[in-house]
Amino acid sequence: MPRAISSDYKARARTPDDFDAFWAGVLAQAATVPLAPEIVPDPLRTSDEIEVSQAYYTSIDHVRVAAWYCRPAGRRGRMPAIIFLPGYQMDPPIPKAWARKGYAALSIAPRGKLRSLAQFNPGYPNLLTHNIVDRHTYAYRGFYVDCWRGVEFLLSRPEVDPDRIGVTGSSQGGGLTITTAAMRPEIRAAAAGAPYLCGFLDAIELTHTYPYEEINDFLRRHPDSRSAVEETVEYFDGINFADRIRCPIIVNIGLQDNVCPPETGYALFNRIASADKRLYAYDGHGHDAGRYKHGAVVDEFFARHLGPDA
Amino acid sequence: MSDTVERPADFDTYWQDTLAALAVHPARPEFEALLLRSTEFATLYGVRLTSLGPYRLFGYLSIPAGRGPFPAIYYAPKYQSVLEIIPQGTANLERSRYVTFALASRGQRNSDTPYAAMFPGLLTDGIDDAAAYVFRGVVADSVRGLEFLLTRPEVDPARVVVVGNDVALITAAIARGATHVVTAPALFHDTVALAARTRDYPLEEINDYLRAFPDKRDAVRGTLAYYDLRAFAPRVSATTLLLAGAPGAVPDAAALEPVATALRGPVTRHVSERSTYRDGLYTERWMAEQHGISDVESILPEHWR
Repeated sequence: MPRAISSDYKARARTPDDFDAFWAGVLAQAATVPLAPEIVPDPLRTSDEIEVSQAYYTSIDHVRVAAWYCRPAGRRGRMPAIIFLPGYQMDPPIPKAWARKGYAALSIAPRGKLRSLAQFNPGYPNLLTHNIVDRHTYAYRGFYVDCWRGVEFLLSRPEVDPDRIGVTGSSQGGGLTITTAAMRPEIRAAAAGAPYLCGFLDAIELTHTYPYEEINDFLRRHPDSRSAVEETVEYFDGINFADRIRCPIIVNIGLQDNVCPPETGYALFNRIASADKRLYAYDGHGHDAGRYKHGAVVDEFFARHLGPDA
Repeated sequence: MSDTVERPADFDTYWQDTLAALAVHPARPEFEALLLRSTEFATLYGVRLTSLGPYRLFGYLSIPAGRGPFPAIYYAPKYQSVLEIIPQGTANLERSRYVTFALASRGQRNSDTPYAAMFPGLLTDGIDDAAAYVFRGVVADSVRGLEFLLTRPEVDPARVVVVGNDVALITAAIARGATHVVTAPALFHDTVALAARTRDYPLEEINDYLRAFPDKRDAVRGTLAYYDLRAFAPRVSATTLLLAGAPGAVPDAAALEPVATALRGPVTRHVSERSTYRDGLYTERWMAEQHGISDVESILPEHWR
């Protein structure tokens, strides 16, 4: 019988004093890079029902980021939009299912993912510890910005209603949903599943599975770098972004999650500042975090807040 | 017209020719110890092998500390770009008890030079010509991986399980040495017919392709006939754990029953409980029981114990 998990688990994450200044600097640097949005229709993947395009835009460090962009075919007028953010090892999917529900849907491949790896490709495993001793060059600095820039891509699209943009994902996508909702006020609703990148320093002790195990591998090989690693991850820990979230948000976790420990999910949820938040904890579920049952919850949540007229 | 296909008359020849072409190229393995991923209980190696083509592949080989021989898990190539050392969520301590070998087939990361596959995209690459279909090479790669693993003196040849999707089952059917198989078919059972019942990838790739190239339908069906699991099942004598989707999934247990009943060796059917915890725990316990590991709890993820 798996052990019980405390819902008031206290994570080690502590927000650095210069957290806001650090990210303000990153965003200022990113703002100097023209977005250069582009969509290329993909006739192979397009049907009478869904228009599929390959999308591209430029992010910080002038890295060109790829994405899939889907829309309901033949729809006139502005529509709500969903940003889908990928799991750690997932190949970013074509978000036809979201378009079928009436959304413009952007599935982002942040740097290093398939289709976005020409300029940056630390590989898997490795992404999690790439330059982890230096917050100014850590892999997730650019990776996070790539996701946030996805909002700007949507704002560049005439068919997208700028007041109805949501974000979702699970695992790494859940963690990225947290940081994106925190850093982009245009996000009006967020649904984060099994959030990764939250409670790094707890997770590496609570579980010994990949991908978090990459950090344990790194520390075993480079024990002298522990303090530098601990310093860096505080700037990237989703828990330290959570008090910036103001939009409605739902979070789902699995109480037997062997990848993203549920303790860190509780710690994250307790730090989310939004007054409109709800946690769904699924007993008997692992990293799926109750996805099968929870899918309908997510659909209803976005329908309520973004109102697709599918 | 039914999209269900029959076993081609030259099915055996197709695969004999593939294996003969593979045999022309020695594996010529090359090892590099990966200290970053090695622990006190297991050493990890990056391994490079030659396969059909010739094409150079990459895999991760983990060898437990201590005296073997050990049971072995061969993680056959998955349908994703990323190559994992062990599957995400598997306790790293699994490597203390099993030799593990995970192979990237052509097109996957680390085996993506000169061919870099797209996902989605791989499933239909060359699908209108059975001789050129990319999965002919992928299956050959998987066979080469198993052949390599069986050369390792640390491996107990009486305890070798191949784990993966359809490619795992096909590998066990046409190569020697697999004593057990854990398979979760997703690609090659009644493919065209089942694709019509879903809009989810990877089978949606088939729908995309046939919509774009309707005149190639017969050619696609013809190629896929060489890959249909029902044709391979009678050649699988390994003890098999067949992981089927929950009712309504594509494919689910009902759809896979013709495969299950055609397997020559013993088969255990497990229908997904829509929980990676429950399904994962079942699989880990099944493998441990089959391999005589009595304390499986000690090598489970912390949140499953």
